Amino acid sequence: MSMKVGDMLARIYIVIIILVIYAPMIFLILLSFNTSARISFPMEGFTLDWYIGELKGYEYVSYIPVIHHWQFWESLKNSIYVSIAAGIITCLLVTTTALALRHRVFGRDFLFYLLLLGFIVPGVLLGLGNLLLYRMLDLEITFWNMVFVDVVFAVPFGLILMMARFDPDLMMYEQAASVLKASPVSIFRKVTLPLIRWEVLSAGILGFLLSWGELIRSFYVMRGVGTVSTYIYMQITMNPVTTKWFAAGTIIALVSFAALAVLGYLLSR
Amino acid sequence: MVRYTNYLLLLPGIITCGFYLVAPLVIMLMISFYKPVYPVYEPGFTPVNYINFLTSPQAPTILINTFSTTLLAAVISLILGYPFAYFLTFKIKSQKMKTYLISLLMAPFLIDWTTKSVAWIAILGESGLLNSTLISMKAIKEPLQFLFRRETLYIIWVQTNLLFMIFPIHLALNRVAPDLINAAKVLKAPPHRVFYDIIFKLSLPGVICGFIFVFVSTLGDYATPMLWAGGIQVLGLSVSSYAGNFLWPQASALGIILLVIALVVLYILLKVVNIKKLFYE
Repeated sequence: MSMKVGDMLARIYIVIIILVIYAPMIFLILLSFNTSARISFPMEGFTLDWYIGELKGYEYVSYIPVIHHWQFWESLKNSIYVSIAAGIITCLLVTTTALALRHRVFGRDFLFYLLLLGFIVPGVLLGLGNLLLYRMLDLEITFWNMVFVDVVFAVPFGLILMMARFDPDLMMYEQAASVLKASPVSIFRKVTLPLIRWEVLSAGILGFLLSWGELIRSFYVMRGVGTVSTYIYMQITMNPVTTKWFAAGTIIALVSFAALAVLGYLLSR
Repeated sequence: MVRYTNYLLLLPGIITCGFYLVAPLVIMLMISFYKPVYPVYEPGFTPVNYINFLTSPQAPTILINTFSTTLLAAVISLILGYPFAYFLTFKIKSQKMKTYLISLLMAPFLIDWTTKSVAWIAILGESGLLNSTLISMKAIKEPLQFLFRRETLYIIWVQTNLLFMIFPIHLALNRVAPDLINAAKVLKAPPHRVFYDIIFKLSLPGVICGFIFVFVSTLGDYATPMLWAGGIQVLGLSVSSYAGNFLWPQASALGIILLVIALVVLYILLKVVNIKKLFYE
């Protein structure tokens, strides 16, 4: 073992930061099995009642076991649809835009800043602005509004990710193919796409994840129960925080984790 | 031919941004000049909403709170995030490990917004982990109040935004040519000069990019101040409480002020550093 002290400290620092970032999530999962409704340490006992308990018929929303709470499942379903749609659209938009912005197109700097505007506009403005736009145009707020407020926010990140990681030689390969008289479509399919497939994929995952927990923007354009973020936010501003919400949070984390795991499995095959 | 393809490729992005990003801002700018007449508003052109806010007695408090909390959150994220990005880039050798560590930072995005902040009750709440540990160690008698105060904002903001600080810095550090560092070492530059004059200065686009993100994301937040900081008066919260009462012109005017603050800070930072260096050229 000839590891230097500095390297050791660096590793310890990395582990500490990751632990701090994970701490709330770890305790969220742990305390969701607590018998007490109050969020407290040490745990009183282990129970699954907050997940699959019996319905007694007189509970407040903060005490209904998650399995019987249909609004929660409705919002979870909405969240899944919204995030998948946001992931796919982000992926497509980022890929087309990043491919074009590599070239010296007219007004490239202006376009670049315009696209970055999505992450420079404070969240509350984006949500409220979309709501006001739809009211002024007398349009009905739909599912797609929740999708697009997330997309507009995720695209700049996807662009940053993709453009910073493009292979410097990518354009040379494309030119070589074009000199050899390959059609633009086959250049894209045979040369460009295989070389940028990981960036394309990470843009999609980014769109999904940034949209999954989004509250600030989607709050203004929600319909019905909205997504899990907006629904639980509404509930918690009006009702006490009990262990039940920790159980709900655990399920939300499980669903997104499962989505990523399935994706990872499909890709590794 | 190739040139037209490029413009065609840009079209979907421009249309989406135009409709869902630029148009909403234009509408807000328009409504912010409308005359507020109870219970709605009257179309027109009057700066009364801006004047009312800027001359109100709360305005200085709100503006100072907004600036101090968001800038401090960004600075704390930078102080915690820079070493992480630095160690990740230069001390972790395996590329696979780097990817894993970055993916690990994604954790806060797996849970929804509300639950991930509510989860802090388990640690910092009145009978959370920290208080019950301290009490059982007999260090304190009464539980300490960690939540529902101004400092809570920083804990939640830093935890949820740290990835956005670390990632751009990591990208920038990745672009620092190892030859430059080696050359400086060969020429017997002291370590602090190597770090400051080469590594830090070359990573500035990443630092600025991360700083802007954390700053703007906290600037536009109203839910954290409302749930966690006892309704501390910040601009984002004022916008949302006007909007909650359907006072659109006032909400729009405050929103535009918020945007102007973001753009001014952005302009100053971009004067210092060319952020495009992270992406092309």
